Amino acid sequence: MLWYKAWLETRWRFLIGLAVLMGFACGAVFDYPVFVRLNASVSAIDASGHFGRLIREAVETQRTYRGFIWFQWYRQNLVQMWTILAVLLGSGGLMAASSGGALFALSMPVSRARLAGIRAATALLELLVLALIPSLLIPLLSPAVGEHYGLGDTAVHSVSLFLAGSLFFSLAFLLSAVFDDFWRPMLIACAVALSQTLIGALAGLPFSEMLRVMSAESYFRTGQVAWVGLGLAVTTGLLMLYAAVAIIERRDF
Amino acid sequence: MPDAIIATTNLRKTYGHVEALRGLSLQVQPGSLCGFLGRNGAGKTTTLKILLGMIRPTSGEARVLGRRVSDSVASVEIRRDVAFVGEDKPLFDYMTVQDVVRFTAGFYPRWRQDLEQRYLTTFGLSPRTKVKTLSRGMRAGLALLLALCRDARLLILDEPTSGLDPDMTEQVLQALVRHVASEEMTVFFSSHHIAEVEQIADRVVIIDRGRTIVAAALDDLRAQYRRIHFVFDDDAPAPVFRAKGVERMYRDGRVLTVLASAGAEGIVEEGRTLRPVSVDVVPVSLKEIFLESSGVEG
Repeated sequence: MLWYKAWLETRWRFLIGLAVLMGFACGAVFDYPVFVRLNASVSAIDASGHFGRLIREAVETQRTYRGFIWFQWYRQNLVQMWTILAVLLGSGGLMAASSGGALFALSMPVSRARLAGIRAATALLELLVLALIPSLLIPLLSPAVGEHYGLGDTAVHSVSLFLAGSLFFSLAFLLSAVFDDFWRPMLIACAVALSQTLIGALAGLPFSEMLRVMSAESYFRTGQVAWVGLGLAVTTGLLMLYAAVAIIERRDF
Repeated sequence: MPDAIIATTNLRKTYGHVEALRGLSLQVQPGSLCGFLGRNGAGKTTTLKILLGMIRPTSGEARVLGRRVSDSVASVEIRRDVAFVGEDKPLFDYMTVQDVVRFTAGFYPRWRQDLEQRYLTTFGLSPRTKVKTLSRGMRAGLALLLALCRDARLLILDEPTSGLDPDMTEQVLQALVRHVASEEMTVFFSSHHIAEVEQIADRVVIIDRGRTIVAAALDDLRAQYRRIHFVFDDDAPAPVFRAKGVERMYRDGRVLTVLASAGAEGIVEEGRTLRPVSVDVVPVSLKEIFLESSGVEG
């Protein structure tokens, strides 16, 4: 029943997120023919400086269908939206007003660790689905635009996103164990996540390494999975979840 | 005397510089329907939450059903045999009545389906209604249903009739009394409403500023508490009574008033040595005891 409760608490965030991501995945595939036509004119752009280099790299990367999908989907749309969903699913938790029945749940014969653990596990399963299912539409729909995208690539990119990006879920979950409301954990975790995935990447800052791990850039460019980065992200995420449960077990309600 | 269902010893709880409980000691015996009275901020809700393991005491000890509440494993065991209804009737608003009943029933192997059906009817609850759309009264009814159907040994209620209209208040109280009369259950409930404590409780614990002030059977309180008025010819003296049971003493011109918690006869006898012109002994209501004990001028 705790799984069912956790599902009811998160289902709208999950289902809306799933629908939006699936829409964007379809968009990524069907935008490709348009992009190919537009890309023909890009070589005439005289781009210099840092941003010029970024634009040139982006154009070069997307000359192939695999590069286009990686850049548009795994490096941009999916990473950014999935990260926001990870933060949304991590925020709230046991004591948020959204679960106004926090006291009711705590009056049940269940340990706080189990309550928190099932809530976290449910959200992580939903995040795994959000990382996998919309991405699976890409190999399924690619023949419609005369292209092919491998299931293996899909699996590696999606699982990398899930493993590394769950760090932001854990951060939101940890902050939710500290703050009583929904908004502060959500806003703080969003700020941290977006600084990593969006601003950092745009400005080429060194801490944007997280984005490379989440988008499995090394796998895309060299075929090597970033095991060290993934390991660090998973370990840090697990430590954050452990800290969150420890805080929940000790605090007063 | 059987082992207490609830026993706290020198329980303290501080929030920063605020002392919510200052050495609270109390006992609730099995089978009793015990009212828990105190002013706002006296420490009632803090005490109830400590008993349920929602708040950890700063020091002291609390035991429920013989188990220490601060032990997290024991606390889960305690909650198997304890039902709780919070002041705001916290429930899962996103569930339907049916969902929340099934959810709760899943944790209690001895769930009483017969009572579930009875209380659904009594409180006019439709299984498919969303909890968030329930009226305040129906929400209270649902919260009570979820508590009573667990077949728990102890029911803890925090202001069970708070915010209810008189009709619903009566329904809730009657349901409680009927349930306790037919099942083996101990009830410990906090309330601001002295009348409802008098209506259903057989014992009462009054706390003030985090300490127990009065703890006794309601009948004993009624039998033992007396207000004694000594009227004198001239200004009333300020005697020091040797007799036990003097709780408070006031002088107002020619009248000396003594509030006695016991031994009124001895106090009257001792007071007569002061040669009053008249002595009047009157019973004291629970409301007066509460107001006097908690230092509120009546």
